[in-house]
Amino acid sequence: MSFIEFKNINKKYENAERNSVTDFNLAIEEKEFIAFVGPSGCGKSTTLRMVAGFEEITSGDLYIDGKRVNDVAPRDRGIAMVFQNYALYPHMTVEKNIGYGLRNMKVPEAEVQKKVNWAIRILGLEEFRTRKPKNLSGGQRQRVALGRAIVKNQKLFLMDEPLSNLDAKLRVSMRNEISKLHRELGTTTIYVTHDQVEAMTMADRIVIMKDGVVQQAGAPMELYEHPVNKFVAGFIGSPQMNFYPVSVSGKEMKFRDGSKVSLPDPVAARLNGKSGDLIMGIRGEDIKMDRASLEAYSKDMQKCVVENTEVMGNENNLYFTFGGSLTVARVSKYEVKMIGDPVEFVFLPEKMHFFDKDTESAI
Amino acid sequence: MLTKKQKRVNWALTIVLLVLSLFFLFPVAWMLANSFKPDAAITADMNTVAAFIPPMPGGGFFNNYVSILTNTNFLRYMLNTLFYAAILIVCGVVVNGLAGYALAKIRFPFRERWVLLILLLQIVPMETILTIHFLMIAKVGLLNTVLGYILPMIVNPFNIFLFRQVFLNLPDDVYEAAQLDFCSPLKYFFTMVLPMSKTVVATVSVFTFLNVWNDYLWPSLVFTSSNLLTAQIGLNSITSNDNTTMGQTLAVITMVTIPVIIIYSLFSKQIVEGVTSTGSKEG
Repeated sequence: MSFIEFKNINKKYENAERNSVTDFNLAIEEKEFIAFVGPSGCGKSTTLRMVAGFEEITSGDLYIDGKRVNDVAPRDRGIAMVFQNYALYPHMTVEKNIGYGLRNMKVPEAEVQKKVNWAIRILGLEEFRTRKPKNLSGGQRQRVALGRAIVKNQKLFLMDEPLSNLDAKLRVSMRNEISKLHRELGTTTIYVTHDQVEAMTMADRIVIMKDGVVQQAGAPMELYEHPVNKFVAGFIGSPQMNFYPVSVSGKEMKFRDGSKVSLPDPVAARLNGKSGDLIMGIRGEDIKMDRASLEAYSKDMQKCVVENTEVMGNENNLYFTFGGSLTVARVSKYEVKMIGDPVEFVFLPEKMHFFDKDTESAI
Repeated sequence: MLTKKQKRVNWALTIVLLVLSLFFLFPVAWMLANSFKPDAAITADMNTVAAFIPPMPGGGFFNNYVSILTNTNFLRYMLNTLFYAAILIVCGVVVNGLAGYALAKIRFPFRERWVLLILLLQIVPMETILTIHFLMIAKVGLLNTVLGYILPMIVNPFNIFLFRQVFLNLPDDVYEAAQLDFCSPLKYFFTMVLPMSKTVVATVSVFTFLNVWNDYLWPSLVFTSSNLLTAQIGLNSITSNDNTTMGQTLAVITMVTIPVIIIYSLFSKQIVEGVTSTGSKEG
């Protein structure tokens, strides 16, 4: 049995018309770092709160370390949690906040001091130990919340959008700190976020949810390279994948504006004989404008006019309309284009994703 | 930035309020100044500006106060009242606070109806239920006891509502974090909720103190033994005694008034907050 098992978990709030979480099944191994991602209202936080015991499970079974915990009180589940708004005790100093749980667990005072000092040291809170939360910055507060979670030696960490209140720079540094902590402590972690970059950079596995239903669970690159549907393909990756309604006939793909691209044999074979109206998706970095690619796929070369540019520093994003859809291409920082410049480009056929027009499932 | 017209209005308002406050301060100043004088001096200074000027400190300056404190039980009455107030503050904060917390944070059937009912209870004047309280206390044999005096005064709909309004704004995730920190609900209330709500605790304490200090009717019904009487009843019995001089009367009134003035000046912020946070006023 896995360390955590969700078996057919459903959650329906009183008077709600539909389930907040539907038929959630997942097995999490010990020491894994799992990220639940999805847009607002997708059920990721609700699922996390069911693990914590703050939300009742309407139906299904939840096992932690081999024990069914549906009816176990939060404090007895062996978990520690970091909250979105930190949830620090405002009238206690940093060290009292961190040691509060240990003192309630009747841990000897010498041991409490030792653990609190350890947490304060590894989180770099030495000079703030006697401050109260209101005198700390957002990042420092979040570190205190982390300290409170790690001192208790619990077997599972739950993190509910812990970085969403921090500014972009601090978010990156805290992301690294959390990853480092996880590597050092090896505690199984479930991390909820709506930021796919956080999920991609931190998690061993990502669970993508939409409308309470798991869309796909897998390693970050698996989700990036092999999304099971259009939603996952669009959610993972920045900038978002480009999508085009196309019509496929044999080895030819026709766009809404009449442009045509030929499909090489391996790509056509992937379609398993499917033809007619489909959705083609391709990531911005797989739209090529370099000389070698243009020569390699010269007969499928397309032409457009740049409508907008984003200079990212390490690369450029070029926006133009093709096949009736706004398209973004990620190109090298050396390929400088201005608004109104004509561009020639090709799609890398082997990087194309195809989705059913009706079900939006990957083909 | 204030305009010239606004500045003029502000000045006018300040002057009106100053004049009004002088009007209200006159009796207090008169009482304070004359409480240090013998009766002959009070009569002599009557209808002159000297009535508002205390005598020069010297021998016999505190005579009226000393004679009240040594010849009557008034000091004991004051200490009794402070003792009752202290018990009622502690019990009131715990009982009304717990009720307010339940009404704010615990889900149970008809919770909102309960809140409405408690709000409705505020409409009922205290005097109308005193008879019922009296009969109940008499029936259980608690007349003329401290317990009999205190029990009916602990639960206060106004304080419950005040606590509820403040507790509604407490973040739920702090409670969830405390649960994971092995904190029991009762421990959470005492070690988290109350310290996080210091202002409302202070407000309720001030209101309770003022209620107990100024209450006359209920202690006069419950107590018959002179050992248990409160300051207000003591004030009445001393001032209605024919042997009490006018100076002594004013000294007693000053002693009863001064704690209230001190409390109002120290805790005016909490009192204003208590009145404004519920949109109502008690007492």
